[in-house]
Amino acid sequence: MTTTITATPLLHATNVSFAYGDKPVLREVRVALAPGEVVALIGPNGSCKSTLIKTLLGHLPATGDVTWDGKSIRAWRRRDLARLVAYLPQSPTFDPQQRVADVLRMGRAPYWGPFGLESTRDVEVVQRVIDELHLNEWTTRRMDEISGGQRQLVYVARALIQEPRALLLDEPNTYLDLRHQVELGRLMRRLARERSLGLLVASHDLNLAAAFADRLVLLQDGAVAADGPPDEVLDPELLTRVYGVRMERLTREGKPPLLVPDAQGR
Amino acid sequence: MNRLAASSVEPWSGERLVLTVAACAAGWAIVALACLAVGSTGEIGWPSRDILHIRREYVLLASLVGAALACAGVAYQAILRNPLADPYLLGASSGAMLATYLWQFPAMLGAIALGEQLFSFVGALAAVGVVFAIASRGGRLEPITLLLVGVIVNAVNGSVFLLINALVKDPATPGGPLMFLVGGLQTNLRPAQIYSAAAIIAGGWMVLLYITGQLNVATLGEGEATALGVRIHPLRWVALITATLVTASAVAVSGPIGFIGLVCPHLGRLIVGNDQRKLLPLATALGASLLCIADAASRWLARDTAAGTALPVGVLTGLLGGPFFLLLLWRNARSLATTEGGR
Repeated sequence: MTTTITATPLLHATNVSFAYGDKPVLREVRVALAPGEVVALIGPNGSCKSTLIKTLLGHLPATGDVTWDGKSIRAWRRRDLARLVAYLPQSPTFDPQQRVADVLRMGRAPYWGPFGLESTRDVEVVQRVIDELHLNEWTTRRMDEISGGQRQLVYVARALIQEPRALLLDEPNTYLDLRHQVELGRLMRRLARERSLGLLVASHDLNLAAAFADRLVLLQDGAVAADGPPDEVLDPELLTRVYGVRMERLTREGKPPLLVPDAQGR
Repeated sequence: MNRLAASSVEPWSGERLVLTVAACAAGWAIVALACLAVGSTGEIGWPSRDILHIRREYVLLASLVGAALACAGVAYQAILRNPLADPYLLGASSGAMLATYLWQFPAMLGAIALGEQLFSFVGALAAVGVVFAIASRGGRLEPITLLLVGVIVNAVNGSVFLLINALVKDPATPGGPLMFLVGGLQTNLRPAQIYSAAAIIAGGWMVLLYITGQLNVATLGEGEATALGVRIHPLRWVALITATLVTASAVAVSGPIGFIGLVCPHLGRLIVGNDQRKLLPLATALGASLLCIADAASRWLARDTAAGTALPVGVLTGLLGGPFFLLLLWRNARSLATTEGGR
């Protein structure tokens, strides 16, 4: 799983710190994302994965330097940044009555003109992504008529309709069963490989993250505890310390290692 | 192969926007012409030139006020992500009503210098400000709390109105200050009042139409809207201030007519869904038409009264809109329960 990393990273963040009031939650975080790279953000509850993603998008006013495509986050116009980076929150909002097609069209919002006017290209991009992700059957359905897994795919499609170069996903597997989790992982790999999309994915599932990511960034209490290839970061001693539960590592020939918590242990 | 739904294949182009606005305007024009034929003596038919002149004034004023309240309702519901929001329930209407009433008193010298429309706007903004300040918790506005506070602010504004009315010994007769309390169309307006209200409402409507695309995105969560390129906080201010200004201008000429701003966006949604780009023109036309119909109905209902005094339209919209609101509240409570249970 080697990826060519270009000289200019898509995302380059250094010394990122953020506090809720007096309580510091992110501490001098450093994270980078290159085109075509899948990076998984792992860590226990409260390690501030979601907060980090929000600060990288400029949704929270953090200190430090966050640059997207070589330009500081503060210098980006929201609309232009939305054409470069798409974001999928943990629990996206949806109107149960809305048709899937209308949800998808919203992905072109960063390209709409005044009065919300669309171009022919906007519609073409929507249709292309629908075809690519095989969503044709659902476009006329309402959001409450499709399953949680299908909805998640609709959100991923909406993000792709933004034609971004980077995609930030916060716990995309939350409402997915195992099959859908694996399918989403494969889709992420395919997008990275075929479109040079950079993906940063917050995940609770260490093994799934290891299976699909080129690099893991392990957060502990809002600071980076480790950053490297899965083989290196999935160190049982390190994870035992970070997660507070004893971990066992099972190695497999030609595949990423499997980490299993020792339920009997301390 | 299923493509995008037939209605969605075409992009939302300038031509489609113009066509939509024209179709909505044509629909309203038909209703307005029909309403011109309804008289206060019970006869239905095309009126004589003199009577036509009077009725035309009512029909146009009803249309203006109805359109204003409906488009403000669309904006409030979208930006607050609250299907129960409307100018009346948020307190904007009663704030504007009280300010407009106060404006006529010589003691309000500063107010007179501001101009009636502007003072009415200040009143509406103050009422909405109070409602938001009390109803918001940690920057979040809970739908039901917002409505409760709005109802209380409305009650206080109404009481202050009646108190001042009693103190100045102005008899609260139908057609007098009472008309202004429940909302009704008046014919004793100066042309300048009507023209300034029409200009502000038209300008406000254009601003709202301009931001309809962003309002669509704003119906998503704040983080998602921001990630889709919308600067949500400035948008919120623009939408709220414009909707409040439009409401205040309408209330300054008609008093607080209830429920038009609540009902029309929902009726529009039944036809075009929740795409604000289509909903705003449609709901505006529905608001204009509905208030025309309410006004014609109040004229027709007055046919047998001794004095021939028409009911204030606010009485009718309240009678029809109240149950509709309760239905929405019931459905909303049910859907909230379902959403929470399903996650």
